[in-house]
Amino acid sequence: MDAAIPQLLERLDREAYVADPAIATSLWLSLTLKKPLLVEGHAGVGKTEIAKVLARMLETDLIRLQCYEGLDASTALYEWNYPKQLLHIRLQERDGKPAADAESQIFGEAFLLKRPLLQAIAHQGRAPVLLVDEIDRSDEEFEAFLLEVLSDFQVTVPELGTIRAPVRPHVVLTSNRSRDLSDALRRRCLYLWIDYPPFEKELAIVRRKVPGASDELAAQIVGLVQQLRRAKLAKAPGVSETLDWADALVALHAIRLQPQLVGETLGCLVKDEGDLRKVQAEIEAGRLAVGSSA
Amino acid sequence: MTKDLVARVVWLCRALRERGLAVTISHATDAIRALQAGAVRSRDHAYLALRCVLVSRPEDFATFDQLFWTAFGVDDGDGQRAQGAPASPRRPQEARGPAHPSLSRWLQQGEDDSGAETEEIPGASDHSALVRKDFASFAEGDLEEIERIAARLARRLAARPGRRWAPAKRGARVDLRRTLRRSLSTGAEPLDLRFRRRKPRKTRIVALCDVSGSMDLYSRLLLQFLYALHGSVAKVESFAFSTSLLRITDSMRERPFSSALRGLSERVHDWSGGTRIGACMSTFNAEWGKLVDRRTVVVILSDGWDTGDPAELAAQLELLKSRCRRLIWLNPLLGSPGYQPVTRGMEAALPHVGVFASAHDLSSLRALEKHLLA
Repeated sequence: MDAAIPQLLERLDREAYVADPAIATSLWLSLTLKKPLLVEGHAGVGKTEIAKVLARMLETDLIRLQCYEGLDASTALYEWNYPKQLLHIRLQERDGKPAADAESQIFGEAFLLKRPLLQAIAHQGRAPVLLVDEIDRSDEEFEAFLLEVLSDFQVTVPELGTIRAPVRPHVVLTSNRSRDLSDALRRRCLYLWIDYPPFEKELAIVRRKVPGASDELAAQIVGLVQQLRRAKLAKAPGVSETLDWADALVALHAIRLQPQLVGETLGCLVKDEGDLRKVQAEIEAGRLAVGSSA
Repeated sequence: MTKDLVARVVWLCRALRERGLAVTISHATDAIRALQAGAVRSRDHAYLALRCVLVSRPEDFATFDQLFWTAFGVDDGDGQRAQGAPASPRRPQEARGPAHPSLSRWLQQGEDDSGAETEEIPGASDHSALVRKDFASFAEGDLEEIERIAARLARRLAARPGRRWAPAKRGARVDLRRTLRRSLSTGAEPLDLRFRRRKPRKTRIVALCDVSGSMDLYSRLLLQFLYALHGSVAKVESFAFSTSLLRITDSMRERPFSSALRGLSERVHDWSGGTRIGACMSTFNAEWGKLVDRRTVVVILSDGWDTGDPAELAAQLELLKSRCRRLIWLNPLLGSPGYQPVTRGMEAALPHVGVFASAHDLSSLRALEKHLLA
């Protein structure tokens, strides 16, 4: 058990996820203490990826709940399959059975549409990974509801009774910090903050994910992205943008950066009109390392 | 795991709690379990593991850094870690100057004040040729118009449909779940339709009104506007600030306006004339932060003339913005042509403000509607 964290790092690496000790330690704690892991960080630093990699690593299912404002229990937990219920009643009628008999049947499990939270709770076999993505986008009512589900992993459907999770799902929550989450939720969770990676780590990620990029190109790409992040843009490029851009450049058979090439593919990296103009001006002024046109 | 280690963890938890972090007993238990589980062999590992368990906000990392290395000693190989300690937050000094004569004057004048003064409004006074009437020269009849604008705004705020559904006798959509249940009693024939409709979205408003000397001519009208809003929306919280912050929600609920104003003047008479917006925002975040959630629109009414630290203002506004739905800064000076937000305070504030709009006349108050409803 001694080398658990280095081992975990290795396994993450095998799943093509370039982690650091902080990430590995948090994941290990989350698995050991069996507590949900709340992952915060800027957009595109690989928060969601953690859950996906965890599921691959544990060879189990990933169940994803994407949050948005107005998300409620019927979308997150369960809903009855009304068309199926109605059809069933009609069939019963045709067979001459009284409709009242239908009640006990149509509120059975066969008519229940399981949404992600219930799927995770009712999951059979190996504990699944439940990813609650962008929890900061949901509203406070939902956060409170989620807390209840996360604390005892059981759900009561009035018509069916209480459903308990046979195994506790591994829960990963992600947040972009578009709003402050409640203290109650934070208290329940382990916490991991993922910052933009330093040069070496980002280079390792690019090398790992875009093997087609030459050493020189990969280093130039990461260098420029790191420079852009320091430039106080309205929307700083995340690691996913770096990877998109690297993919684009490799597809264009680029060997090294050139100003013209950078200008043409900048849309992969900078996704705000004001930022775009600012960056183009910086390139023209020669203040960004975009390679030489020679 | 030695007794000593447990003692250190307990000390660390207590120290973090004293610094305002929400560290509970269960956190401490988890922390000890984390260290006992066996994978933690070095101080660096312990650092990462304990941070993961005990800290839930990146802003608190610096505090944790400092206390962790105090509790567990500085690693020989990595001595500079302990230096991540934050500068201790500065306590705003309570500068108490003389009462601002101008503010108390209009507070005492109450409703009788026709607002005929045209004295020293920075940047605005020399534009009397404006077609729109500036609040600086404001007539009695316009008070009614302010109330009308506020009332209409309040109605619109209350009637906004949200994204959640609620059962209703009549509504936009059939509630299938309830309809089906009812239909069972009528032989599965859905005779009795049940409906659902969008729940109204409850917008809350928190207003922070600058009542310092530079805002004097506008404060009264803006307070009047707030007063009218209080009359029609239940969820308005009002604060007045200059060098310190005061919650005035209770005063604003008093009727009529003259008695609300009297209540205010009793409570604010010893304020001084300067403005320390950053310190006031800091007080607000610390003491009243709970009033702000994702449904809350925060409106700051100020000209941005600030004698405090711009960096503090920027930090506090950023915090505030992350908590609320919308942060609106209304600046009466914006109404004057040629005005540039170049005061130090305004420059610090601008990057954190969602909407920067004027509030110097009636048409700008009407335009406020679209910001509050957005």
